[in-house]
Amino acid sequence: MRSIDFNPSSRTLTAPGVWCLLAALVYGTEKPDFNRDVRPILANHCLRCHGPDHRQRKTELRFDAPASLFDDRGGYRVINRKQPENSELLVRINSRDDDLRMPPRDSPSQPTSEEIDILRRWIVSGANWTAHWAFVPPQRPIVPVVRPVSEVENEIDSFIVSKLRQKDLHPSTQANRSTLIRRVTLALTGLPPTPDDVDAFLQDESPDAYERLVDRLLSSRAYGEHMAIGWLDAARYADSAGYQADWERFMWPWRDWVIQAFNDNMPFDQFTIEQLAGDMLPDATMSQQLATGFNRNHRINDEGGSLDAEFEVEYVVDRVDTTATVWLGLTAGCARCHDHKYDPLSQREFYQLYAYFNNVPEKGIDGRKGAARPFINVPNQHTERQLNELNAELDKLKSDGTDHTTRIRQIEEQSKLLRKNVTTPVMVMQEQAPREPAYLLKRGAYDHPDKSEVIPPALPKVFQSLTDATPGDRLQLAHWIVSPQNPLTARVIINRLWQHHFGSGLVKTSEDFGTRGEPASHPNLLDWLATEFVRTGWDIKAMHRRIVTSSTFRQVSTQTPAQRQRDPGNRLLSRGPRLRLTGAAIRDQAMAISGLMTPVIGGPPVKPYQPEGLWKELSFGTGKTTIDFYVQDHGQNLYRRSVYTFWKRTVAPPRMAVFDGGSRAMCRVRSESTNTPLQALTLQNDVTFVEASRHLAERMLKAGASNSSKGLELGWRLAMTRRPSPDELNVLELALNRNIRIFRANPEQADQLLSNGESQVNHELDPPVHAAWTIVALSILNLDETITRE
Amino acid sequence: MSQAVNNIYGSTVKTPARPLRMSIRSASGGPASGDATFEFESGTNNVTRRQFLSRSGYGIGALALSNLILSEAARGNDNVPSVMGPHFLPRAKRMICLFQSGAPSQLDLFDHKPLLNTHHGSDLPESVRQGQRLTSMSAGQARWPLAGSHFKFRQHGESGAWLSELLPYTAAIADRLCFVKSLQTDAINHDPAITLLQTGTQLSGRPSVGAWLSYGLGSTVQNLPTFVVMTTRGQGGQPVYSRLWGSGFLPASHQGVRFRSGRDPVLFLNNPDGVTAESRRNQLDHLRRLHELNEGTFGDSAIKARIQQYEMAYRMQTSVPEVTELTDETETTFEMYGPQSRQPGSYAANCILARRLVERGVRCVQLFHRGWDQHGDLPKQIRGQCEETDQPSAALVRDLHARGLLDDTLVIWGGEFGRTSYSQGKLTANAYGRDHHPRCFSVWMAGGGIQPGITYGETDEFGYNVVRDPVHVHDLQATMLHLFGIDHERLTFKHQGRRFRLTDVYGNVVRSILG
Repeated sequence: MRSIDFNPSSRTLTAPGVWCLLAALVYGTEKPDFNRDVRPILANHCLRCHGPDHRQRKTELRFDAPASLFDDRGGYRVINRKQPENSELLVRINSRDDDLRMPPRDSPSQPTSEEIDILRRWIVSGANWTAHWAFVPPQRPIVPVVRPVSEVENEIDSFIVSKLRQKDLHPSTQANRSTLIRRVTLALTGLPPTPDDVDAFLQDESPDAYERLVDRLLSSRAYGEHMAIGWLDAARYADSAGYQADWERFMWPWRDWVIQAFNDNMPFDQFTIEQLAGDMLPDATMSQQLATGFNRNHRINDEGGSLDAEFEVEYVVDRVDTTATVWLGLTAGCARCHDHKYDPLSQREFYQLYAYFNNVPEKGIDGRKGAARPFINVPNQHTERQLNELNAELDKLKSDGTDHTTRIRQIEEQSKLLRKNVTTPVMVMQEQAPREPAYLLKRGAYDHPDKSEVIPPALPKVFQSLTDATPGDRLQLAHWIVSPQNPLTARVIINRLWQHHFGSGLVKTSEDFGTRGEPASHPNLLDWLATEFVRTGWDIKAMHRRIVTSSTFRQVSTQTPAQRQRDPGNRLLSRGPRLRLTGAAIRDQAMAISGLMTPVIGGPPVKPYQPEGLWKELSFGTGKTTIDFYVQDHGQNLYRRSVYTFWKRTVAPPRMAVFDGGSRAMCRVRSESTNTPLQALTLQNDVTFVEASRHLAERMLKAGASNSSKGLELGWRLAMTRRPSPDELNVLELALNRNIRIFRANPEQADQLLSNGESQVNHELDPPVHAAWTIVALSILNLDETITRE
Repeated sequence: MSQAVNNIYGSTVKTPARPLRMSIRSASGGPASGDATFEFESGTNNVTRRQFLSRSGYGIGALALSNLILSEAARGNDNVPSVMGPHFLPRAKRMICLFQSGAPSQLDLFDHKPLLNTHHGSDLPESVRQGQRLTSMSAGQARWPLAGSHFKFRQHGESGAWLSELLPYTAAIADRLCFVKSLQTDAINHDPAITLLQTGTQLSGRPSVGAWLSYGLGSTVQNLPTFVVMTTRGQGGQPVYSRLWGSGFLPASHQGVRFRSGRDPVLFLNNPDGVTAESRRNQLDHLRRLHELNEGTFGDSAIKARIQQYEMAYRMQTSVPEVTELTDETETTFEMYGPQSRQPGSYAANCILARRLVERGVRCVQLFHRGWDQHGDLPKQIRGQCEETDQPSAALVRDLHARGLLDDTLVIWGGEFGRTSYSQGKLTANAYGRDHHPRCFSVWMAGGGIQPGITYGETDEFGYNVVRDPVHVHDLQATMLHLFGIDHERLTFKHQGRRFRLTDVYGNVVRSILG
C-alpha cells in the first residue's frame, strides 16, 4: 500500500486521506526536523537535477532554495502549506505514471517509502524551511539540566545524557582505573602507560587524580608526536613527491614544526594563520615561513613529457581542496569542473578560492632535487647536533693517546658529508608580483581558461553575507577562517578532536559538513563545544582535557545486548569508545612495552625494517633517483616512533598500509578500520613484532625468574594495564610450559627465533626458556585487547 | 535481534541484524531478480542480506566477508558497505589483466598502416595532427617524420586479424581474440594515464578496478585474496605505484594483495625463523582461547572476527605456497608457456600463476609487465619485450580454454596509451622511436563473454586518429563491469557527499564486442 491512484488530468489524489492515515499508522508521527531529516532526502534525490549546478538543472525549479518551491506555479504549488495533500512534490513522488513520477525511474537514487513519509509529515506539519545548519554561525546553546547530577562530570555529559534519556537509554558505568589510564594515555600520547604510571594512579586517592594524570599526559612530549599524525594525514605529508619517479623531498622540518606547535599548545587560530599564510605576516620569522609548508605538501610531478601549465593547476586545486576539507569541512573540489551539485558553491566561486592560492612563484614540473620552488633553507638542528657529537668524540679520541686512526678517519668523512647538509631545503608558500591572474577553467581543464574575466580572490556568497569584508589575499583569508564570522572552522576542528577520542565525529562525515554530510548526532553539543573552543582562545589542550575528563569518555566500553540493539554504532555514546589502534600506534606500543623504543624527537625520517625489494621492484630500479632502493637503517633508528618512518608515497610503508593507513596522496581526515588476515600475518611474523616480543620476554623473564606467573602478569599488564584473570593466566602458563618443552627438544629453533631482529640477544638467558617466553610475548602483542583502546 | 549465520568454518556466528536498505525495486516492469543498487545504508529492512546473498548465488565467500563487515559495523563503522551480487546475469566471473606498462606500440604490433611505410620519412601532415597536444619530449622537434614499422604484418586465422611478425603465438590464437583498435585515453603521460586506466580518473586516491570488483561482488575464495597483483621480477621501466591496486576510499580490505616471487609471496606470510608450522598452530590455539575469554568480557563481535582472521591467515600460510609453487605443473605446461616459465617472477611464470589463481576462484588477477616505453631504438627493444610476453600471453588463453575456464574468465592485454606514427628523435635506417599517443591504441580481449575473432574500431591511414567506433577507457571499464553483471552506473560508493563510481560520470558499454 505504498502507491496511490493518480489522475493526471485533475492533479488530485483519489484517496489522500486514506493514504495519509495508513502511512501514519505504519510510520512515525513525530514532526521531522528540516535539517536533520528532510534536507538530506532532498539532497540525495532531488538536487542532482534541481540543485545549485546550473548546467545540470532541468528546470528553474530548485530544491536548494525555498522560493520556487512555495510559490504558485500557475494553479499548483510544489509545496502547498495550506493544502499539503495537493503539494505537487507528494503527487509526483507517489505517482505510478512514469511520465510524471519524480525522481524518474531511471534516476540512480530512489527515495524509500520511509523517506517519502518523512517528506509528507514535514509538509503536513507546515514545511518549515531553514538554512543549512553548517552555514549559520553557532549560537551558544543552553546546557541541559540533567539529574542525577552524579552522571554529569562536565557540560559534555549534560548533552549526552539528556539525549540518552530521550531514547530511553542510560549511560554506562565508569570504567575502572586501570582501563581508564590505558585509554586516556593511548588517546593523548599514542603510547601505553608504564606499570609504574598505573600503580601511581591506582594508589592516588586524591579526588583530582585523574585530572592530574590528564595534565601530565598533555604536557608529555609524546602528546605532540601523537597529535601530529592526524594532522600529517590531513596535510598529505610525505617524504616523497608522489608521481612517477617519486623523488625524495625534505619536508620533515615542517613535520617537526607541527609536533612542536602541538606540544607548545599554540592556539589553533595562530596555528592556522601561520600554516596558511605565515609567509605574509609582517617580518615573518623562519618558523612562520616554515609553517606554510602545509600547502606545499601536495604531490609534485616531474614526469618527462608533462606540462608545467597542467600541474600548476593541479597544485592550486589541491590547496583549495585540502584547505576547504581541513578547516571548512567542505568538498570544494566538486566545484572545479561544474557548480557544486549539493552545496552553495558555484564553479566561479571555486575559482575565487583558487585565486587565493595561485600566486606562488612555482613551476608545474619540478622537485627533482627534493625541493620545488619556492623553498627556504632551514638550519638543520639535527645535523648540527650530530656534528657536535662527532666533534666531541673526535676531541676525546685525539686526547686519549691510543691509536684510533680508522675511527678518526670515519668521523672526518662523516662530518664532511654532514657539513654539506647543515641546511634543509623546505618548500614554502610565497607571493609573487605582479599577481598571477586567476581564470575560470572550463570543465576544470588547465588548457581551457575563460580569459574574458580575471577572477578576484573572494569568499563564496554563502559566507559573504556573514562577513564585513571579503578577504583580499591569502593572509586575510587565513584570518577569516579563524574569525567568529566563519560558521565552520571551530565546529569542524572540534568535531575532529571528538572523532579522535570516540572514533566517530559528532558529525560523522567529518570531511563533509555540506548538505550531503550526515547531520550532527548532538548538534547542540557540537555548537557548545565550538563556541567554547573560540571562547577559551582556541586552546586545543583545554578541549582535549574537557573531552577526556567527561564521564562520557570514561564509561566502560563493554556492550550489553540492549545497547547493541538500540545504539548499535554507539552514536548516542551509551558506552565508552572501543577502537582498534592505528598502525602507527600498534607498532609504537610494541616498541614501548618491549623497552626498545628510541625516545628521540624530530629529525630526518628513518627507515626501519621493511621486507627487501619492495621499493626496487616498483621503481625505475636504476638508481636514477635517491629513492629507488630502500636502504634500511640500523641501531636506534630502527626503534623510533612511527611518525618518523619514511613515507614513500608510491609504495606506502607496508605496516601502515595493512592497518588502513591511507596513501598520503591527498588530504584525509577520516579513516575506516578493517580487520583482515594480512593484519594477523603482520603482527605474527613481521620482525618488528617478533623482536619486540623477544625484549618483552626478557622483561617478563626477569620479573618471573622464580615465579613464572609474576612474569606473565607483568607482560599482560604492560600490554593491557590490567591483571590477567585466573583463566587467562592458566592459558598463559600452559602455553609457556608447552613452548619450553618444544624449544628444549629443538634448541636450534630457539636460537633461530632469538636471532630475529638486529638488537643484541641477551646470552645470559637460557635460550629455550627465552624463546618460549618470546612466543608468549608475541601472543600478548597479538591479542585483540592489546591492539584495541578499550 | 540477532541473526544466525553459517560462516565458512562451519560454526554458527551470531551477528546483529543490521537494518539494510538496498532499494530493491519491486515495481512492475522492473527486472525480476533483485534490481538493487550496491550501496548499503541503515534504514528500512526491505530484504535481509542473507536473502539477497542466497538469491544472488554469491553465497559462501560473500557471506564470510559480510560477517567481518558486520562486526566492524558493530564497532561504529556503519558506513562500511558490503558485498552484494551482480545486477544481472554475469558472463565473467574472473578477470586477468595482462597490463603492458609503458605503452606498447600499436603500430608495430596490431594496427597495420602501410601508408607509414610508403611515406616513411615524410612529415606528418598538419591536417592529421590538427594541433593536438604532444608531450614536451617531442613537441619541440623541428619536424615529425612518419616512421613505418620495421616489422612485417599479415592476416591470421579465419578472422583475418592483422598482426605483426613480432607476435607469432598471439597470431596463432587470433580467432579467440577480440582486437579493439580504437581505444582512446585523456592522458598523455604515464602516471595520469595508468591511473586513469586502473582507477577511472587521472586523479589519484580512487579505488582500482579490482577493488571495485571486490567491493561489488565480494569473494568466492576462502583462503586466498580476492584481488592479486604481480609484477615481473627484475623488469625495469616506468615505475608502478601501489595506489594502482589500492582501495582508495573503499575499505582497505578491498585493496589488491601483491604476490611477490621469493620466500614471502605475500608480505609476512611465513613464520619467523624458529617457529614451525606445528608450533604456530599451538600458539594460535592458545591465542584463540584467550580471545574467547576476552569476547565474554567485551561482548564485541569484532573479537570473533579477529579469531576468524587469524584462522584465515593460518590457512593462507598453506594455501598461498600451494598456489605459488609451480612444482605440480606438467612439462607440457612449461613448454607451452615458454622458456622463462620456470623462472619464478618471470612474466611467463606469473601467467601460469594467474591461471592457478583463477582456477581456485580468485576474482581479479592483475599482472604488470614494464619496459614498453620505447621513445628511441624501438625496433630492438620491442622485439625483446615481445619475446618475453607473446608466448606466455597466448599460452594463458589456450590453457584457460583447455581447462574450460575461458568462457567465464575475461583476459585483457594492453597498455595505458598508444604511440605516435611519427618518430621521436632522429629517424635512421635501423631505428626510430615513438612518443606517447593518447588518440588511439590497441588492446585485445578474450573470454568472459567477449566475442572472439573480431576486430573493432579503426584508425585513419596515418594511425593517428580514430575514424570508426571510438572506445574510451571509460567505455572499456563500463564493458568490463557489464561482463561481470554490473551496471557501471549503479556500482557506487558514497564519499565526500557524492556517489562515486569507477567510470566517474562517463562510459558506455561497447555492446558490439559482447559475445
